[in-house]
This record gives sequence, C-alpha cells and structure tokens, in this order.
Amino acid sequence: MNLIRAELLKLFTTSLWWIFAIVLLPLWGLALGYNWLAANVTLGTEGGDGELAGFGSVESVVSGLYTSGQSAGVLLVVLLGAIMVTGEFFHLTATSTFLTTPRRERVIVAKMIVAVGIAVSVWLLTTVLNLAAAPLALGNLNKPSYLAESFVWQAIGLNGLAFVLWALVGVGAGVLIRSQIGTVITLSVLYVIGTQVLTLIFFALSEYVWEPFMQLRVLVPTLASDLLITGPQLDDDPPRWVGGLILFGYATVTAVIGTLITKRRDIA
Amino acid sequence: MSRPNYAEISVEHLTKQYAKVRAVDDLSFTVNAGRVTGFLGPNGAGKTTALRMILGLVTPTSGTATIGGVRYTDMPDPIRRVGAILEASSAHRGRSARNHLRVICRAAGLPDQRADEVLALVGLNTVGTRKFKGYSLGMKQRLGIAAAMLGDPRVLILDEPTNGLDPEGIRWMRDLLKALAAEGRTVLVSSHLLGEMQQLADDVVIIAAGRLIRQGPVAEVLGATAGMARVRVRTPQAEQFAAALRDEKLEVVATADGTLQVTGADTARVGHLAFTAGVELHELTGEGADLERAFLDLTAGKAGAR
Ligand SMILES: Nc1ncnc2c1ncn2[C@@H]1O[C@H](COP(=O)(O)OP(=O)(O)OP(=O)(O)O)[C@@H](O)[C@H]1O
Ligand SMILES: [Mg+2]
Repeated sequence: MNLIRAELLKLFTTSLWWIFAIVLLPLWGLALGYNWLAANVTLGTEGGDGELAGFGSVESVVSGLYTSGQSAGVLLVVLLGAIMVTGEFFHLTATSTFLTTPRRERVIVAKMIVAVGIAVSVWLLTTVLNLAAAPLALGNLNKPSYLAESFVWQAIGLNGLAFVLWALVGVGAGVLIRSQIGTVITLSVLYVIGTQVLTLIFFALSEYVWEPFMQLRVLVPTLASDLLITGPQLDDDPPRWVGGLILFGYATVTAVIGTLITKRRDIA
Repeated sequence: MSRPNYAEISVEHLTKQYAKVRAVDDLSFTVNAGRVTGFLGPNGAGKTTALRMILGLVTPTSGTATIGGVRYTDMPDPIRRVGAILEASSAHRGRSARNHLRVICRAAGLPDQRADEVLALVGLNTVGTRKFKGYSLGMKQRLGIAAAMLGDPRVLILDEPTNGLDPEGIRWMRDLLKALAAEGRTVLVSSHLLGEMQQLADDVVIIAAGRLIRQGPVAEVLGATAGMARVRVRTPQAEQFAAALRDEKLEVVATADGTLQVTGADTARVGHLAFTAGVELHELTGEGADLERAFLDLTAGKAGAR
C-alpha cells in the first residue's frame, strides 16, 4: 500500500501525466469524429446498404461510437505503463527506489497496480464522454441511442478490459526493454503500424504457405485486442475470449520475465 | 546508544566478477560503530562496486555483506537502519527535491513531514520546492545526505560525498559525519581526498585492484609507514650537517633547491642534532607520516585504472 502511494506520488509530481492528458483529449475528439462519420455512412443509408460501404454492421459502428478514443487511450496507457519503469533507469532514480525497497518485485507490482488504476481512469473518462456525445451523434442521424441494447454495454465493458490488459503489457514491456527511448519506439511502432504490417504478413503467409496462418494473426497483441472488443470478423476467426486470453498471456509473460530480470539486474 | 568497536558492517570474501574485470576480489573487512571509517582506494579499485554490493544493488558473484548481522536485501525497513549516498545519487530532473524525499517517505512508511525536517537539517529548506534540474552539484550532495537521514539510521554509507562541495561544504560534511559517529552511529565513507580523510576518519580500509591492502585505525596504518617520516632542512652549512646526520645513521638526500631531505627521524631529533653540531638552521619542516604518502606507498604498483 505504501508503495502504491509512492508510485502515485511519483507519477503526479512530474509533468508526464498532464502532457498525456492534454494529448488524449484531441485524439478522443478525432476518434469520435471518425466514428460519427462511419455511423453516418452505415446508418444514414436507407435499407442497410451502408454496411457495404465498408464501415461494418450497425452493431459495430454503434459500438465504435461508444468506445471512441480506445486506440489512442490504450496507446497512451501502454506508454505510461512502460515509462513508469524505464523512467527509473533513464532518470537514475532506480538506485533510490531499490535502496528504499530492496524487494524489487514489490516495486514492479505496485507499478502494475497504479498502471491499471490509470487505465481504468482513462477508460472511465472516455466512456463518460462517449455516453454524452454518442447519443447526440446518433440523434443527429435520427437514430435511437441504442443504450437499451446489451451489445453496447458489452462493448464498453470489454473496452475496459482491454485498457487494463494493455496497461499490464506496458509495464511488462518497460521492464523487459528498459531503454526509455527503445521501449517507447517499439511499443508505438508495434501498436500503430505493426497491426497493418503484421496482418499483411499473416495474409501473405496464409496465401502462399499454409492457410491456417490467417487464424494465427490473433497472436499479434493489437489484433488480439481487436478480436476481444469487436468480436470475430471472418467466419473462421476464433471467439472473443481467445483475444482476451492472448492479451492476458502477453501481460503475464512480460510481467513475470521482466520481474525476474529486474530482481537480478545490477543497479549501477 | 553508543556501542563502540562493535562490528556493524561485515564484509566476507566479497567478490564481483564482471565480464572483463574482477572489480572486487575476495574482499573482507569490518566497520565499527561509533567511528568514521574511510574507504580508500585508487580509481577503479572497486569501492563503488563494493558499496553497491553491501547495499543490495549489485549482486555479488560470491561472498556476503551484512549490516548489523543482516543482509540489506533481507531488511524489512532498510531506510530506518541504513542511510546511503551513492556516486550517482539522483532524482528525477523534473521533480522537486521535497517531492523526491516524500516519495521515499511514502515507500518507507515515514510521515511526509520527515522530508521537511531533513531539508532543514541540510540547509535546503528554502529551495526544497525547486526542481532537481536546477540544483548545483553541492545542493545535490546535500539532498543526498537529506535522503540518507530520512529514516534516522544507525548506519551511514557514503560514496564520495564531498565530490563537488566547496571548502565550506566539505567542512560542513566533515563536522556532520563526525557528529553522527559521536552519537554512536556507524559511518563508512569512501573518498579520494586523502588529506580530507586524515582529518575525518578514525579507521581506514584501503583497497586496490579489488583487494584489501590494509585495514585499521588511521594512527596504526600511519605507524606502519612511520619509518618513512621525512624532515626537510635548509641550512647554509648543508654539507657539514649532512655528514653529521649520516654519522647518526640517518638517510640524507641533498635536493636541487639546496635543502636536505632527512629520512628516519622527526623534527625534534634533527633540531637537536643541528644544535649539538652547531649548525645554523633556516628551515626545519616535518613531512612526517601523512595518509597520502602512506596510501601511495601502500598502493604503489597495485592499481591504476583498469
Ligand atoms: N557495470 C560494470 N560492468 C563492467 N565493469 C564494471 C562495472 N562497474 C564497474 N566496473 C569495473 O570495475 C572496476 C571497479 O570499479 P568501481 O567503480 O567499483 O571503482 P571505484 O573504486 O569506485 O573507482 P572510482 O574511485 O573511480 O570511483 C573498474 O575496473 C570498472 O571498470
Ligand atoms: Mg567509485
């Protein structure tokens, strides 16, 4: 408990958190605008032809609206989780931290708990904003709010789960990679471009090498979280929970290996 | 509170093998409570590595180090038992000194106001809210002391704490460490400044190339090289006096600037010999036992940057 309080104080006594907060809001606005556009196309066309325009079913565009800011929020949470660890080495505060708490695994656990707390806060914030903005956007299209539909609440809940799992992946990656700049670049690239590139690679593998490769693409963390939130897109995609499990696997493996490494590492 | 001569820190066969160097090599020594112990050695001797092993930051290849009989990593509340300043003691650049200390307080379960108390103790209370990046080297060292004192520990371990301090700061540090030792605490302090150590330390531990060279009270370590004590003499009758000194089986060297270097006697003896020989003296200076010479003699040829 003391360690969690210490980690929170660390977080809120430097400028990092409010820089991230300032970045989050415009990104959320952008995401909302995009999702509103998608809803416009899908729902605005009579007779449901809109689905053909490529933005997905009514269910998925409405879920999209209610989870706006997911991709940006998760990216920021992942980076924050990673920097909570790498910052200790970058700013040479690891000495002071581990002198105070020689049981290093406790420090890592405290960081994970705080990162999860941040993830939940960001999820709550974007969800509250979405619950205010999405009905307005839908009303504008003369559509109901869909808030009575269970799929909306399922999407919102799974969105929260994705936030939490990614926060753990962030801390784990920070411990594993340690270099501040290396971690930030690796995570951002993997998260932003990696998804597309890796989808292409898996597509090529399944076309030319062996067809089931396409199903293995859910092993990519970002695709696993897509699967978790939006559900299977292709007929032979595995069910949602597989995505959640894979993401949880990444979080656990990075955290456990990272903690073991941290325990042995010489702090100089 | 005071329990003099009780071995508070005990290092046994400590070894650290890095890929290319054996930074610390089968090192054993003890540090007693109620005294300031100087930890001396040339650059690269392994001082920092040894101290970091004592503090659980670096894992020894073999051997053990305990403080009050307990390994640092096994202490439930290390901040209340041991205070440490290490070479690269650092805080986050964008965090204020006060918040840096509060983070430690929270993690160690100490009340937040301890941060303000130790800031006052080291004279930083007026600049506590300033960010760390705005601190001078001397202020950073003071902040390091403040952090070390947060838990009011019985044992202090300091790696070159006088680095970057001005003469007044050095004196402040010396008085503080002496006062802390006088209260019965254990103070282990590494330094390059040998003259400084001579004024500060009660005991010394001298290492070179990772190995122990000598350990003991300063006077004893100096005594071991006291045969080397030298006296410088300036006289218009240099040749005559040199002959008289050699008759007394003393070693005399005539230097280029016209003085005589006499080895093996103190100033009183040389002065007396001058008097009986009827020789006029213009200068008589003792260059006797000093830690720097003892240190250089003891570590000669054993080190150098590795
Ligand atoms: N992390 C490391 N990896 C490899 N070698 C190291 C490491 N840390 C220290 N060394 C080597 O170990 C030896 C002892 O270094 P150490 O810093 O302990 O010496 P020191 O006595 O503190 O020197 P100084 O007086 O210059 O501070 C040196 O040869 C150094 O190069
Ligand atoms: Mg050193």
